[in-house]
Amino acid sequence: MKWLKLVRTFKEGMTNFYRNGWLTFATVSILATSLYIISVTVVLGLTANLIIVSLQDKINVSVYFNPGVEESKIIEIKDKLADYEEIKSVDYISKDKALEDLLALSSNTEMINKALEEIGENPLPASIVIRANNPEQYEQIVRSVEDSYFKEDISSVNYIENKKTIDRLSEIVLMSRKIGLIFGLAFVVIGILITFNAIRITMYSHKQEFEVMRLVGASNLYIRMPFVFEGVFYGLVAGVLTMILLFGTSYFISPLTNGSIPQGNLLSFYFSNFFWILGATMLTGVLLGVISGFIAIKRYLKI
Amino acid sequence: MIKFENVSKVYPENFVALDNVNLTIESGEFVSVVGQSGAGKSTLLKLISAEEQPSEGVVYFNERPLSSIKKRLLPYFRRNIGTVFQDFKLLPKKTVFENVAYALEVFGETNENIAEKVPEILDIVGMTDKMEKYPHQLSGGEKQKISLARALVCNPQVILADEPSGNLDPDSTWDITQLLLKINGLGTTIVLATHNKEMVDKIEKRVIRLENGKIVSDEIKGRY
Repeated sequence: MKWLKLVRTFKEGMTNFYRNGWLTFATVSILATSLYIISVTVVLGLTANLIIVSLQDKINVSVYFNPGVEESKIIEIKDKLADYEEIKSVDYISKDKALEDLLALSSNTEMINKALEEIGENPLPASIVIRANNPEQYEQIVRSVEDSYFKEDISSVNYIENKKTIDRLSEIVLMSRKIGLIFGLAFVVIGILITFNAIRITMYSHKQEFEVMRLVGASNLYIRMPFVFEGVFYGLVAGVLTMILLFGTSYFISPLTNGSIPQGNLLSFYFSNFFWILGATMLTGVLLGVISGFIAIKRYLKI
Repeated sequence: MIKFENVSKVYPENFVALDNVNLTIESGEFVSVVGQSGAGKSTLLKLISAEEQPSEGVVYFNERPLSSIKKRLLPYFRRNIGTVFQDFKLLPKKTVFENVAYALEVFGETNENIAEKVPEILDIVGMTDKMEKYPHQLSGGEKQKISLARALVCNPQVILADEPSGNLDPDSTWDITQLLLKINGLGTTIVLATHNKEMVDKIEKRVIRLENGKIVSDEIKGRY
């Protein structure tokens, strides 16, 4: 008997879903829009974070050494620096490596080779490249390098040139985190409110039916179940719709994000996390649908 | 079967709908409750279906005081009662068949029984050919017949009809009157609230007249 009623209310929910055509369309669109806004906010937040992390990785400070300094001493300094907590990595770039890099970057290798012949030796200095864990820590690191026992061996630190970029970047990082969080939260709350209201209106349109159902002897649970299932269907369909919208969005935005996140671009991010995103949107949709339906219907069952 | 003991119903703002009513309705009776609008007819019916609770006094159904039924269990109690309204109260998104079947579905009746019983009842009210229609495709009289069929399908002990002819033309009213008499003939108790004089005069059964919430007359073979 319980099973029979469950099957019945499930079918009833399905019938409500497709017979109420216009209302279903409106509710699903609103739910899908909210889900879309929420997931775009979340995905933007995630990718922005990834972009920021990969940008942060590109910041560094180079310390150039005087021509006479022994390679072994530089390596010793490098190893010492690598022990500091604030420092993420230190790489040694020898004179030869520096030249190699220059040749690799340059399009006019012939000219450079000629110039080198003129000079007779490799004029590029050896250097170490320091990366910090946190962009705010560069200032401190540079200060301690310039104050260290090997300060006599240093010819220059390119920090001042980099400082502006570093400062701006850390500012952007902090700001975008704050803004992302505020907007994200606002959009999520708006999405929930819109959905709740849409479903409340849907329930309101069924108000008279609840009364009739009660009068022919339906229990509250029996009245409620079809609407719970209806909420589930809203959530599932809206979830699928949102996935399609998200696919479209990532497809068009994707070229802009080429190379700036580890997954390559937004589209591959979308596909590599397809089931996560699908599951999350559907679950959110179903929860939104069912909970708002449950709350909305409550006030009409008080006979 | 139904018994009112010193029942009063006072709505907010001190509007007295029923004033110290004493009344007994036996099983198998056909009772017409008449009176002007606002005399308390609807309230009387709502007290029987426990949609309203009396402000004072006790309403008994099969010797059991209705106030003793837990709110949660009221839907189960209501299955003893079929209700017919002036505005039909059909479910708009369901076909005629589904509307009638719904009353059985909530019981947990099996699909086979539903497929058997619903056409039977629709046959009694003469609506078998409209089975697949939606309420908006029916006339007022037809809708009332469906609502009557739905009230009947669970084999209730009592049918409460609140102004069933309120929205109907004379011909349909006559049809419904005939149907109510036929159902009563099959043993179902009927309580009819109406201010339709012709209807009451044709029925020629017990008539209770309400005025300002009080019973002013109660005749075994009454006229309006």
